[in-house]
Amino acid sequence: MPHETPTGGFKKTSSGKRLTGIIMNDYLQLHQRAAEGAFVVWIAIVVPAELFAGFDNVVYAVPESHAAMSAGKGVGAVQCGKAEKAGYSSDLCSYARIDLGTAMDGGKDSPSFGMPRPHLLVSNNNNCSLLAKWFDVYHRVWGIPHFILDIPFCYEEQTPQDFAYIRGQFADLVRTIEGLSGQRFDEAKAREAVCLSGEALREWKRFTSLAQHRPSPITAFDSFVQMAPILTSRGTQQLADHYRALADETEEQMRQGVYPVPDERYRLLWDNIAPWHQLRKMSGRLASLGANITTASYTYCIGSLEGTFDMYAYDGGDPFAWLARLQNFSVCPHGMALRARAMRQAVERNGIDGVVFASNRSCKVYSLMQMDQMRFVRDELGIPAVMIDVDHADERKYSEEASFVRLEALLETIDAGRRGNGMNSGNPSI
Amino acid sequence: MNGILETLSGMKTGGRRLIGCFPLYPPLELLHSFGLTPITLWGMRDAVRDYGTGDRHVQNYACQVARALTGFVIDNGPSLFDALFMYNACDTLRNLPEIVHAGIRETGADLPIFRLHVPALSPDRTGAKDYLRDRLRLLMADLERFTGRPFSAKAFAESAALYAKQRSFCREIEALCTGGKMPFAAAAPLLERAHFMDVREHIALLEEAVTHHAGLPENGSGVRVLVSGIQAPPVDLLRVMDASGLTVAANDIATMARSYGTSPTGSDLLDYYAAFYFDHHPCTTILPAGDRRIKLLGQRVQEDGIRGVVFFGEKFCEYEYFEIPYLQETLNTRGVATLFLELGADDLANLMPLRTRIEAFAEIVRGDSV
Ligand code: SF4
Ligand code: SF4
Repeated sequence: MPHETPTGGFKKTSSGKRLTGIIMNDYLQLHQRAAEGAFVVWIAIVVPAELFAGFDNVVYAVPESHAAMSAGKGVGAVQCGKAEKAGYSSDLCSYARIDLGTAMDGGKDSPSFGMPRPHLLVSNNNNCSLLAKWFDVYHRVWGIPHFILDIPFCYEEQTPQDFAYIRGQFADLVRTIEGLSGQRFDEAKAREAVCLSGEALREWKRFTSLAQHRPSPITAFDSFVQMAPILTSRGTQQLADHYRALADETEEQMRQGVYPVPDERYRLLWDNIAPWHQLRKMSGRLASLGANITTASYTYCIGSLEGTFDMYAYDGGDPFAWLARLQNFSVCPHGMALRARAMRQAVERNGIDGVVFASNRSCKVYSLMQMDQMRFVRDELGIPAVMIDVDHADERKYSEEASFVRLEALLETIDAGRRGNGMNSGNPSI
Repeated sequence: MNGILETLSGMKTGGRRLIGCFPLYPPLELLHSFGLTPITLWGMRDAVRDYGTGDRHVQNYACQVARALTGFVIDNGPSLFDALFMYNACDTLRNLPEIVHAGIRETGADLPIFRLHVPALSPDRTGAKDYLRDRLRLLMADLERFTGRPFSAKAFAESAALYAKQRSFCREIEALCTGGKMPFAAAAPLLERAHFMDVREHIALLEEAVTHHAGLPENGSGVRVLVSGIQAPPVDLLRVMDASGLTVAANDIATMARSYGTSPTGSDLLDYYAAFYFDHHPCTTILPAGDRRIKLLGQRVQEDGIRGVVFFGEKFCEYEYFEIPYLQETLNTRGVATLFLELGADDLANLMPLRTRIEAFAEIVRGDSV
């Protein structure tokens, strides 16, 4: 967990160092096993990767995760530029542009030397259909089969019909891989991976729920950084161990009185994808103002069912069933009512003073509900909210000054509310 | 010609029960068979000039279709429509029903919204057909409750026949454009009226136009081009194309060819919609149709002697934007010139830069064709 002093900034703790090791190792393994003949699958972030553990020699890569890492390492704009030069609009999701730019340039400038070329593309329209369009580019250019998972959007909780439909598609995916790779699927192995994912998510929830404490021992930025292996190491012992150690270490820091923002006067909630190119700068500058984004919809949804904040535990039963039921865990496939319900829980449990809606033109699915959500936060939850413009992975589309003018205004509104003349009496949406 | 608002108001006061449908391809026949008049709420560039209401609810980086729809329905929905319908046509649209509903409720009114999830899978995939059938059954039950009348196979067959006739006439109009007998600038507004009129009245208009133009001499002497996009470009731009020596001989526009290109036969509702959605005329929003679309465009280009393709990119429509670079490259390799123009809500007020680019493109294509 990378945090340090009252003024913020990162210091690598042992969890932070371990995290770097895991990610490096994941990419190394991926390249190595692919070079040795493993069947390579590229997947959308929410494809249930535990299923691949049911095969002896299937490895997977997650272009979105690789794009996030690229943005975090400062090469997002470079890779976006390459895609734009090839004709891809700068209005497209920056993850897609980073990935296309990386792939077109053979992995050049990538922190992981790109990803090995796949044998199968598996997209999932759960988060967005854009992923299917994006993977279709590779399908056309490289002639690689593309398997689409069609996941109904959730305006309400998942219905039994939707559950059965999703479960059936997972079984279809397994059959497709069997057919293409010539390998047999072993359900017992997939079940083991699901067990380990369940364990890892339980520890993850233990870690993120520490944000309830005042002051919070974590920032949402910690959870952004630490979520990476959920995407690249799903269903592994190392992931479960890592999150256990992360939660333990954070609890230990609490006991020692080490907090990222000891003078924590404002507890904020972040709504949208992490601003990968701004993690250090934003957390540091907020910390200097006594503000801590303790909580984020982007990370509290992990391991939860749609519209909730709590862990959906694996009961040891049918692994396909658990994966299907948990398929809608991320925020993008949730309707407004479900988003509001989960956000209410987060605000109440974590003692949130204000909400930062990061309006992200690169991710319309996440963003195009936020204006109404702002009204919900103001009117129903009774706390102020602000909207800032952030592109999660293309820093050319972010203005630190413009954002901080608004963030500081949010803090002032919180102060005014505390004095009894702001929130609930004025206009708290900035 | 009346504007959209006047047309719809007239229909409403005339006693029709209008159902406002989110684009792109709602099950019109089914809605119609319940005595409703479906209206598909495409961009409405003429009716929506001020995006104020929409912009209170969705950021301005949503496409023009979504911004216009949101504002139009919140402002006018309760007085015009009896209900709304949406399906999972695209990511932006799937985010809207609750927003629109909340906006309507803020005005003190209410409207039921019916929803459908159409599988974004090819029909051979496990569960795809069954799931669609199941969703359609639920929708039918909702419509029965709402209209107070049971589903009638006979009424459905009649509605399906009407829409088949309308689509067939639309294709005839397109053939007249291909044959140089009708300028596309005249055809496009007529074809797009399909979405805002009663189907019978539209058929009458189409029939009249077909009869009139079929007897005219061929006049399409320009270089033949295909236009692609979500909505027809503004007529002013089509006129510029005409004046620049470009004859629009084919279209790949969602409000037109992609809408009337599919006309299933058969009267069994469930089979009908399985055919309608799974074999739909390719569109960027139909995820499993990507390969078919590229093939079909190639065919059209070859068969209709197309020398140039103009992509009217709907700003912020990612579906379109992911396919355009590949299509441009492929077409260019085959010697077909391409032009990409972007049209967003804010570009409509000043078309001059687009006019200039069309004129420049025309020069290139004409030069190629000598
Ligand atoms: S649009 Fe949003 S959900 Fe889709 S890939 Fe991009 S960041 Fe992810
Ligand atoms: S233009 Fe594109 S993004 Fe907009 S509603 Fe149509 S399909 Fe959706």
